[in-house]
Amino acid sequence: MTDRTFLWLAQVFYAASCVITLRRLRLGGGGPELQRLNYVVMGLGFALHTVFLYLRGRIDGRCPLTNLFETQAFVAWAAVLFFLLIGPSYRISFLGAFTAPLVLAICLTALLSPIDVVHAGSINRSPWIEFHAAIAILAFGAFALAFVTSAMYLFQERQLKTRKLSSSFLLLPSIEQLDVIHFRLLIMGFAMLTVAMIGGAVSYHIVGHWTEPKIVWAIVVWVVYGALVLARGLRTVRGRKIALGSMASFIFMLVGFWGVNLLQP
Amino acid sequence: MNLFVIGLSHRSAPVELRERLAFPRASLGEVTVRLLESARLHEATILSTCNRVEIYGLAANATEATRAVRRFLHEHHKLMDSVDAHLYEHRDNDCIRHLLKVACGLDSMVLGETEILGQVKDAYHSAQQAGTTGVVLNRLFQKVFSASKHIRSTTAITRGSTSVGTVAVDLAEKIFGKLPRCTVMVIGTGEMSEATARALRSRGAGAILVCSRAQERAEALASQLQGRAISFEQWPVEFPSVDIVISSTAAPHPIVTKEKLMPLMKARRQRPLFLIDIAVPRDIERACGELESVYLYDIDDLQQIARENIAAREREISACEALLVQHLQRFADWLEKNRSALEERYSGAGRASTAATPNIHAPSNVAFNK
Repeated sequence: MTDRTFLWLAQVFYAASCVITLRRLRLGGGGPELQRLNYVVMGLGFALHTVFLYLRGRIDGRCPLTNLFETQAFVAWAAVLFFLLIGPSYRISFLGAFTAPLVLAICLTALLSPIDVVHAGSINRSPWIEFHAAIAILAFGAFALAFVTSAMYLFQERQLKTRKLSSSFLLLPSIEQLDVIHFRLLIMGFAMLTVAMIGGAVSYHIVGHWTEPKIVWAIVVWVVYGALVLARGLRTVRGRKIALGSMASFIFMLVGFWGVNLLQP
Repeated sequence: MNLFVIGLSHRSAPVELRERLAFPRASLGEVTVRLLESARLHEATILSTCNRVEIYGLAANATEATRAVRRFLHEHHKLMDSVDAHLYEHRDNDCIRHLLKVACGLDSMVLGETEILGQVKDAYHSAQQAGTTGVVLNRLFQKVFSASKHIRSTTAITRGSTSVGTVAVDLAEKIFGKLPRCTVMVIGTGEMSEATARALRSRGAGAILVCSRAQERAEALASQLQGRAISFEQWPVEFPSVDIVISSTAAPHPIVTKEKLMPLMKARRQRPLFLIDIAVPRDIERACGELESVYLYDIDDLQQIARENIAAREREISACEALLVQHLQRFADWLEKNRSALEERYSGAGRASTAATPNIHAPSNVAFNK
């Protein structure tokens, strides 16, 4: 059994969570039992996901972020971590319904793409770099959940605006709650990204490397999310526009991340 | 030995008749004891609500028993004319099925409503306290309560609001989440706007402002809703702090227009605004709904949602009945297994309270199969 098997097994649980969601939609909520079951299933998926990362990390004794495959799996793991932390504490119903498919998509594209290649260059074992990378990935996890809550916001807002209510209308949280939680996730993600940037600056001594694609990309992502946090914080923009901005930023970040990693392995 | 129900409901009798046959809650226990004795029943429970009066009983012979119950109803309520045409009867499995349907809200005026379950529970507890229930009705009601919970939670029979007021509350909750922080403004008084404001208040809405061209009416409604009356000219001043507006004036033209609203939304810093327009002709220009963070619903929109919710509940009936049959079968099997033991027991003792101590769940001398 390879470490990848554990990641595949985790996908079985994430897929099961999607099935539970469909069942809950059919039943009009299905009571707290199904919601609890969903957390348990996501929790088991998370545990297997963690085993995968642990086994990967043991191979060369460092944070499993040596290639695009590992990074993607790590981002998905961070998203599930935030889901498990935020879902029950803020009582956001149906957060899992939107999180599980996103996590499944990120992991499956990673598992099915030929990107799990052994890092060609020498691996830098500086703890600073590992710290910087791990914090950055956690920030991506928060932004992934911000993407999820934005999608929920836009879906619910559209129903309210068009007056066409689907069967999921009563099951989804209020747009105000989604707006507030989305903002908190943006702040968390941005704070972690800032720490990661500082860590990166210290570890790479980036002065003189400003034109490297990865650094340019990182600075642009930081500026974009900074602008979102500022706009929402000052209440100049809120609701729908912030949600759209957050979704666009996350997609930009993912696409850019693929791009720079393929350009500069 | 038969289980039976005899009664009338909103389906079989007009309200004038239902109120004549209703039993006051306070005397329910005492009346059930008298009914048990006069109709020679083994066990009995009376369910009396504004929509139905039903007597559930267990007797050696249902034909004789229901005849006696009809007589009792006539005598007790001193009825001059016959009500037989309005009474329905169900026996054994049909009686169990009927009670299950009633408890699940499938026989209610508003399909799937939940209040009836509480009323059935109250009826059962009155009878239990009066000692008129025994092994069979105790088990039947307990099983019906758990079946009802199961059916309601695993189907969508209770989902969605079915009246204009409660639909408005659902929408408000999906915009703002918790309502205590919301300020409601009622512009113009009227039955529907009052009902909507009341529904919002009952779900915890914060401050309520009432304004009307007739200041007295505004003050009267404000005091009923524990709100504050403001003068009609004042509403644009208060508007920026308001989250929910219920408008129902008799004005011939819109009083809230997109042009008027735009600067107010800026002052609100794009905080969501829920506009409920109950007036005909409408008070709020339809174009207001195009503004960002403004959610506008008129009376037709709300009624349409209520109708859709009712239709969605109706589509759940078959799913409910499929589950109901399972619960019915389980109880019917238990009753059949224990029939001879029960008959033997009641042939000696007669009625619930003398057969054994009241509230028994299993007799002391006969072993019942579970």
